[in-house]
Amino acid sequence: MIEFRNVSKSYTTGQEAVHNASFNIEKGEFAFLVGSSGSGKSTLIKLILKEEEPTSGNIIINGKDITFLKPSRIPYLRRSMGIVFQDFRLLPDKTVYDNVAFAMHVVRATPKHIRRQVPMVLAQVGLGDKAKVYPNELSGGEQQRVALARAIVNNPSMLIADEPTGNLDPNTAWDIMGILNDINLRGTTVVVATHAKEIVDQMKKRVIRIDKGNIVRDEKGGYDSEV
Amino acid sequence: MKYNSFGYLIGEGFRSVAKQKKMTSASIIIMCATMFIFGAFYLIGENVNFIMGQVESQQGMRVILSDDTTDDEITSLKTKISQIDGVNQVTFYSKEDNLASIKEQLSEYLEILDTYDEDNPFPDAYFVTLTDLNLNDSVQEQILKLDGVEEIVASDDTISSLSSVAHGIQMGTLGLLIILIIISVFIISYTIKLTVYARRKEISIMKYVGATNGFIRGPFIVEGIIIGVISAVITLGIIGLAYNSVINMMLSSVVIQRINITLYSFSDIFARLLIVYVLLGIGIGITGSIISMRKYLKV
Ligand SMILES: Nc1ncnc2c1ncn2[C@@H]1O[C@H](COP(=O)(O)OP(=O)(O)OP(=O)(O)O)[C@@H](O)[C@H]1O
Ligand SMILES: [Mg+2]
Repeated sequence: MIEFRNVSKSYTTGQEAVHNASFNIEKGEFAFLVGSSGSGKSTLIKLILKEEEPTSGNIIINGKDITFLKPSRIPYLRRSMGIVFQDFRLLPDKTVYDNVAFAMHVVRATPKHIRRQVPMVLAQVGLGDKAKVYPNELSGGEQQRVALARAIVNNPSMLIADEPTGNLDPNTAWDIMGILNDINLRGTTVVVATHAKEIVDQMKKRVIRIDKGNIVRDEKGGYDSEV
Repeated sequence: MKYNSFGYLIGEGFRSVAKQKKMTSASIIIMCATMFIFGAFYLIGENVNFIMGQVESQQGMRVILSDDTTDDEITSLKTKISQIDGVNQVTFYSKEDNLASIKEQLSEYLEILDTYDEDNPFPDAYFVTLTDLNLNDSVQEQILKLDGVEEIVASDDTISSLSSVAHGIQMGTLGLLIILIIISVFIISYTIKLTVYARRKEISIMKYVGATNGFIRGPFIVEGIIIGVISAVITLGIIGLAYNSVINMMLSSVVIQRINITLYSFSDIFARLLIVYVLLGIGIGITGSIISMRKYLKV
């Protein structure tokens, strides 16, 4: 579903953030992306989102080579992915409900479809009772749930998260990871870049470790290499 | 699932106009000023054209025929003149008609014309009016080439000066229009840039959830159109009042009454001006918003 073939990325500054990366994340898989700060995790995710262009190599998403995707097609690529960030990125002047509905307006869903879908995903992330509340009246964990609801409201085939628990305390982080796991169990492919060692250790999912731009390990197991 | 989210876009556009009250009113005021100046020139131009039309139907040239022309030649000349491009009406005035009209003008001194009845010195003539004063020169040229035409008597000066005034006003209005459009586009795009900047976070989120550039542009284009249309309506009201009072002053002035010319009343040109303004407002609004969005639509 997400395949990298010898992908390298150098920024215009000359900094090589990803070097010759190859991996293939299958449909329905749950994969962690780990590595120390500056190792290139976010860059990898930006390459998947087509926010950055690879310097060399090919990226295949859903069986389609997106390396030379026309800019006008990028929105349609992104509709197949839900995206979550460390800093939530909610709109402060919209209620929880409208923040989620917003993502549906953008893809031109009908009002009827929006009214049906939004309460459903809010319930799924455990925010059924907060629909009318504004983001600044929510805890960090609740805000990230809203972001999760927004990410899955259009039923994307994959969910990409860059440090989704980076701003949260350990308990709340667990809640969020639990929801991500639920989403994965419903068939969505999930990729999570994270520093949360304990969670990665306990969830026993596939772990892709990147170090100074190189993929140094790719297997099921814990945060650190035990091989 | 495909659905035309027109209502959503329009709602967002109005929301942003309401939020950016200061900048929106500033750009409406400036748009109004530019539209007012343009409107003033437009109205003057329209009236000059209108007057030109009236003058055209009154103004004409006297085509003097040679004394030795036969009746048949006179008749065929009429057909030939009528066929020339730009000729409106051709009226015949015989020697006798011309003498009679002179007698009428000289009623007090009729004795000097006593002998004229036996030996009429006046020529036969055609009075030719034009459909378009700009064709004056070419019509004269072609008539002079015809056999039996001796000379043409016309008040060239009035005609050519009027048509050059009209031409000048047309060019002036066009030049002014271009300058004003550029200024207005610049102002609107600046206003919308502020909105875009205030909503850059929203725009980046929209991109992450898969909004097309067209969709993201929507509310800003609506905002531009709203500013344009509001300005158009306000200017129309102001210029209507101003025009009516100026026109009333002019029509009651002695000069205008003497030369027997009418001017447009505001209701005559209201519809035309409305269309011009609304198209102008919408066009400027759309262009301004597209310009202001360019930077933010990359990535
Ligand atoms: N836009 C950019 N321009 C230039 N260099 C960049 C840019 N973004 C990232 N880099 C560099 O690329 C390298 C990888 O950065 P990246 O953000 O991918 O790391 P990361 O693994 O996500 O780190 P963190 O865990 O701190 O988020 C770093 O050396 C960084 O300085
Ligand atoms: Mg990062």
